[in-house]
Amino acid sequence: MFSKLKKTFSKISSKVKKEASKVNVIKQIESSKLKKLSNDLEDELLSNNIAYGVVNEILDAVKNSNAKNLKLDLKNKLKEILSSEKLNILDTKNPTIIMLIGVNGAGKTTTLAKLAQKIKKTEKKCVMAAGDTFRAAAIEQLEQHGKNLDVKVISHNYGSDSAAVAFDAVEHAKSKNLDYVLIDTAGRNHANEDLMRELAKVKRVVKPHYTILVVDSLTGNDVVDQAKLFGEKIGIDGVILTKIDADERGGAIISVAHESGKPILFLGSGQGYNDLEEFDTDKILNQII
Amino acid sequence: MVLDRLSDSLKNALKKLTSGKVDKDAVEALGEEIKKALISADVSIKLSREISEKIQKRALKEKVAGGLTAKEHTLNIVYEELTSLLGDKFEEINTETKPTKIMLVGLFGAGKTTTAGKLAKFYKKRGKKIALIQTDTWRPAAYAQLKQLADALKIDFYGDPKETDPSKIYKTFEKDLSTYELVIIDTAGRDALNSELTDEIKSIDKSVNAQEKILVLSGDIGQAAEKVAQNFHDNIGVTSVIITKLDGTAKGGGSLSAAAVTNARVKFIGIGEKLDALEEFKPKNFVSRLLGMGDLETLLEKAKDAIDSETVEKTAKNIMRGEMSFNDLYQQMEAVKKMGPLGQVANMIPGMSKMNIPKSALNEQEEKMKVWKYLMDSMTNEEKDDPSLMNESRIERITIGSGRSLDEMRDLIKQYKQMKKMMKTISGQSRKMKRMQKLRGGKGLPGFF
Repeated sequence: MFSKLKKTFSKISSKVKKEASKVNVIKQIESSKLKKLSNDLEDELLSNNIAYGVVNEILDAVKNSNAKNLKLDLKNKLKEILSSEKLNILDTKNPTIIMLIGVNGAGKTTTLAKLAQKIKKTEKKCVMAAGDTFRAAAIEQLEQHGKNLDVKVISHNYGSDSAAVAFDAVEHAKSKNLDYVLIDTAGRNHANEDLMRELAKVKRVVKPHYTILVVDSLTGNDVVDQAKLFGEKIGIDGVILTKIDADERGGAIISVAHESGKPILFLGSGQGYNDLEEFDTDKILNQII
Repeated sequence: MVLDRLSDSLKNALKKLTSGKVDKDAVEALGEEIKKALISADVSIKLSREISEKIQKRALKEKVAGGLTAKEHTLNIVYEELTSLLGDKFEEINTETKPTKIMLVGLFGAGKTTTAGKLAKFYKKRGKKIALIQTDTWRPAAYAQLKQLADALKIDFYGDPKETDPSKIYKTFEKDLSTYELVIIDTAGRDALNSELTDEIKSIDKSVNAQEKILVLSGDIGQAAEKVAQNFHDNIGVTSVIITKLDGTAKGGGSLSAAAVTNARVKFIGIGEKLDALEEFKPKNFVSRLLGMGDLETLLEKAKDAIDSETVEKTAKNIMRGEMSFNDLYQQMEAVKKMGPLGQVANMIPGMSKMNIPKSALNEQEEKMKVWKYLMDSMTNEEKDDPSLMNESRIERITIGSGRSLDEMRDLIKQYKQMKKMMKTISGQSRKMKRMQKLRGGKGLPGFF
């Protein structure tokens, strides 16, 4: 991941340096050449799947930069976008309630199972709630994960109220003295008012400590609308990006961090239960630039 | 939002072309805006640039056909260039051969299984004898998912939750499947097209030998779309594309990149989570949406069908003279109604789609229009032609006859008066300016939206 972006930055930076070396210190790089370099940078950032508005903002931040500082200025801007207050969702609240939300196919159920695995490894106990009562076999899917991981799954029938499922899971955790409740929800089209209202109800009923937006890292410009609408209508505390191994571009991470203003918590990569890596801003920044 | 701003600047760029001549600067500005709009809709950067350059070149080089304005000339080229990648009309899947085998491929979460169910429903309605088969042995409960969909649709289902080799599953049922008219084959997805999936997909492709190999692509996929499509194409030869989740805010530009590298046509779009939320792909509508320009063409076409020109002329004449009758109001409402539900009509009008009119308000308006229609249906022809005849006893008769309340009748009269007043104002103004055309760019009718 990010290999492409890293190449981009090196390429642009050396291009700028080359232009700068051609002219003496007093003379500036010709404006037409600067314009071309700026256009090149824009195209490269866009090709790396960073959303349009975010690219404009990055360009804005480096528009007064010079050949020497360009790379550093870019890095600082990206750091600003990617850094937000650290958040540990796996703290102890007896029980800590975590709810995953996102559009269809983002990877919520798989991510939920990966979180359960993470919790198990710390010798803590959790229960999963099969809150997707709409999609065919969503319940069976989570139950299969539960069986594989030996984690209890609370489920009702299809078409039932997912708020009630989540509520039951919380009650179960309380009575059994479990440490975590992990709530799966149905994939929701963020532009559909009715579906979003249903989701808001689940949140109202169980009051999760952490509501996490799950985003497919292949998502393009729509990532901005997803972050915005889920943020406005449901409210989110953090983001998990999935399928990070699918593509060498990592632009969606930058877009979603920028638009949501919330910390990126984990990156999901493979299909194994252990493929959920904690997000480390500095490590990622060093990968990018 | 970014896209709103973009479609505005696109419209502004188009406006500059209204001066009559195809002006070089204006065309360049438009090309730049189109490039931006396409990139924001997730079309690949390279393709966006190519399309934009081609449009600029053609707009300047080609002669403006007789009767067209510079704007129409350029817009036409924009449509042509974009639809040349997508096809200019819906191309059906050929289902003549028995059995026609449709295999769905794609990455995790693209919506393959849901789309398999939707396709089954689509063709069941057209009287086909269909079987669904699950060969996804990877994802937990994939078997159960397609089985549940098949059961709900009362369609025959094949699969084996214990077998791990997809090709074997298909071979096991091959003989049974040959008795159907249409066989839809679901396959496993992966995060990325790694060697493991490549081998699996090649092997199942060889066993099935499907006539249609459809790449299912999520509508919100970004710059990776081109590579994903290329990879699948290299391995199995994609023949068609279905793009899902287009009921949200995603523009589906990835399908354009996919169509360009595979040379395959988009056949359907997924527009919701229910099984009937599958639509035949209409390139022109899609292009309008891609550019954020509203579904102008559909609206114009539908408006043309909805009301014949003679009635329009008569109604317009009456309205312009300020002599609007209930008949005219009725005609107006019928015309709007024929275009479809108000929400859809509003979405088709550029600018209106951005106004974010709450659905409830539109539904309410639709209900109101229904009531007005009932009321007007209970009027005599004389009353419809000459609203000044309306008096208490007539009003009472109409409300009883239509089974509606007095309040609703008052509401209708109020609406009529408002409209009449507004039309009078507009017609007064336009007479002053002797520019009747101005009306076309004027505001909508009060209370209608």
